[in-house]
Amino acid sequence: MESSQPTAPVELILRAQRGEPDAQRELIVAYQHRVAGFVYAIIGRSDSIEDIAQLIFIKMVRAIDRLQAPAQFESWLFRLARNTCIDHLRRQKLRRIFTPFAPEHENVPEPSGAVGSEELDALRHALDQLRPQDRALLALVQEGRSHAEIAVTLRSSVAAVKARLHRAREHLREHYQFPHEN
Amino acid sequence: MKTENRAWEKLQRHASAQLRPGFADRVVRAARVGAEAVPSLFSIFALSAATAALCLLAVTLFNTSYRDTDESDFNLAGWQQIAADSEEFAVNL
Repeated sequence: MESSQPTAPVELILRAQRGEPDAQRELIVAYQHRVAGFVYAIIGRSDSIEDIAQLIFIKMVRAIDRLQAPAQFESWLFRLARNTCIDHLRRQKLRRIFTPFAPEHENVPEPSGAVGSEELDALRHALDQLRPQDRALLALVQEGRSHAEIAVTLRSSVAAVKARLHRAREHLREHYQFPHEN
Repeated sequence: MKTENRAWEKLQRHASAQLRPGFADRVVRAARVGAEAVPSLFSIFALSAATAALCLLAVTLFNTSYRDTDESDFNLAGWQQIAADSEEFAVNL
């Protein structure tokens, strides 16, 4: 999660708002990797990343003309991404109520080592222990969003965001088994 | 902390690798195709309103016709009873 990546120029966003497919494509290319990482941090499954990222960018293309302040594009995009991920997890939970799976099929985790890195496995395991809202909070911070921006995204106060972030980080550290350090 | 940061970077790289080549083109295409197929909010609302109005009309008509028939039968029975009583009264006189 790189927080120092350049933001898309306002001109590109304005062109995308006018419905130019080339500009929309450029915007997607500029953000697809960051959004994929963000989605993975919240959803925790590699096999859902592309589908959910696609859903996020389709929503972006369809709603970008309603974005009032192009300078706020990044905040807006990551708010869209966060809400889409949380909705996905809620729908999954609801679906399980109506079509219950056998316990062995319920939320089959990605096998340990599937991602080929102990460090990443440890982080995934730790993230799995957090609530989706806290995972989203940590992912937003990793994305370089400021506390004020996160407060706007979550319709909360900066103080509340700081408190929640502190708790989420503590919780993450509790579960994060540092490879080669234990 | 460094280990954790490295893990976040790996998470980012792993996630990026899950996107197949041509992702952006597919998304732009899907957004356009979907936008044409999806009905507008107004048409969804108009269809819902028309369906609700039709249902209401059907229920009202059904209810009215049943109530009219019941009321007529009740009134007729009442008048028949009055006619029978007055006939009986006339005979007894």
